[in-house]
Amino acid sequence: MQILKLLAAITLAALVHFAGMRLFPSFGQAVDVFLVVVALHGLRGNSLSALLVGLLVGLLQDSLSGGPFGLYGFADTIIGYVTARLAQRLVIQRATGVLAVVSFSSVLQQAILVALAFLLLPVPEPPSPLWAAVRAAGCGLVGVAAYVASSHWRRTAEVRRRGRMSKLRLG
Amino acid sequence: MDERRTGWVLIIVLVGQLVYLAIQGARAGETRLEVFGLRLLGPMARGVASIPRSFAGAREEVKLRGTLLEENRELRREVRELRLRLLRVTDIEGEMLRLGAAVRYPTPPAGRIRAADIVYVDHASWLRTLVLYTGEQPARVNQPVLSPDGLVGRVITVAGPYAKVQLITDLAASVGGMVLRTRRQGVVRGGGRGSGGLELDYVPLQADVRPGDRVLTAGIDGVYPRGIPVGVVLSVANGGQLFHRIQLAPAVDFGSLDQVYLLEYPAVPQSVKEVRPGANP
Repeated sequence: MQILKLLAAITLAALVHFAGMRLFPSFGQAVDVFLVVVALHGLRGNSLSALLVGLLVGLLQDSLSGGPFGLYGFADTIIGYVTARLAQRLVIQRATGVLAVVSFSSVLQQAILVALAFLLLPVPEPPSPLWAAVRAAGCGLVGVAAYVASSHWRRTAEVRRRGRMSKLRLG
Repeated sequence: MDERRTGWVLIIVLVGQLVYLAIQGARAGETRLEVFGLRLLGPMARGVASIPRSFAGAREEVKLRGTLLEENRELRREVRELRLRLLRVTDIEGEMLRLGAAVRYPTPPAGRIRAADIVYVDHASWLRTLVLYTGEQPARVNQPVLSPDGLVGRVITVAGPYAKVQLITDLAASVGGMVLRTRRQGVVRGGGRGSGGLELDYVPLQADVRPGDRVLTAGIDGVYPRGIPVGVVLSVANGGQLFHRIQLAPAVDFGSLDQVYLLEYPAVPQSVKEVRPGANP
């Protein structure tokens, strides 16, 4: 069930990314929906699962990007692991906490990508600091929206399940 | 699994990826994982690309219908003019072919073109890319990609009916180019965001290059045929002791692309490219 949910989240992220890029050509620069999926999955606290999901999602993103294959795979593996370790040490339940963690993930991802670009590319062209800040804010906001929506959905599903259980007991 | 073992898994995965990146950089070709990823995401991108750009766009389309009559009249006039011009050009072409045959000049093949839909484009970020849907007949690696305005790039990855294109504005891209007015050759490189989009390198200081000069493909790189528009010279500056520093504006507006053309052009075989001077044929 968890795997199905995860696959649905990745598919949804890909569809949002494609639709966003079609409507606004700079969407990919402003928001990284794939990173949001990795960071939110990392917040569950399972570091092994988080790093593997980071690897998978990053490699998928690499197949769309124009750079060497594996740049995002490398960065997102670290992001998944770091967010999971953060979630193990900190209690992140509020939206502001999610905003901070996802924004931090975006900044960390940009830093790793820039470092890799300088290591591997003959003529590296790092993203502008302004766009990096916009991307961190964009990812944070999308992360909060997804977190709030999924919490609301989970609560509603729980209330319904309890309702069904009480009816069964009364019956 | 405890955190210590997960840490080891992380190190192994990261080192593995670094080795993979290094090997890939040395080989410079498509990878199976990349092809698999493109095959997986390509249909999704194509599905989204088939949806109209926006409701506003659809409303604009309805509005446009009102101006179609006038536009049709204008286009008919343009077609008449172009037909006359084509007659003259065909005449000149026939004359050139006859002259070429007289001196036994081998004419390069013209090459057929076929249309391909763009299903995903990212020309704004620093890792620029373009994904095409080529239909049943797959594209070929290194196949030139054109638009009606000029050169777009070349195919770098083929995944069934999908193909990833390296744009000429990519920092890793280079094209053999020549200034149309003087036939002076150089190497056109992607200039990144800082320049006008392209740079023309290795043009000596004594060469005559001016802003406004048109730059075409020179046909010397073994990938692109000669004569495809690449860009227009924006500025010429002294780039050092030997060469000009020339910035170009691309002939193609990458932001407004929605369809491109694949050129069926026989690239120079690798065996010919790798032959050393003095080696036996």
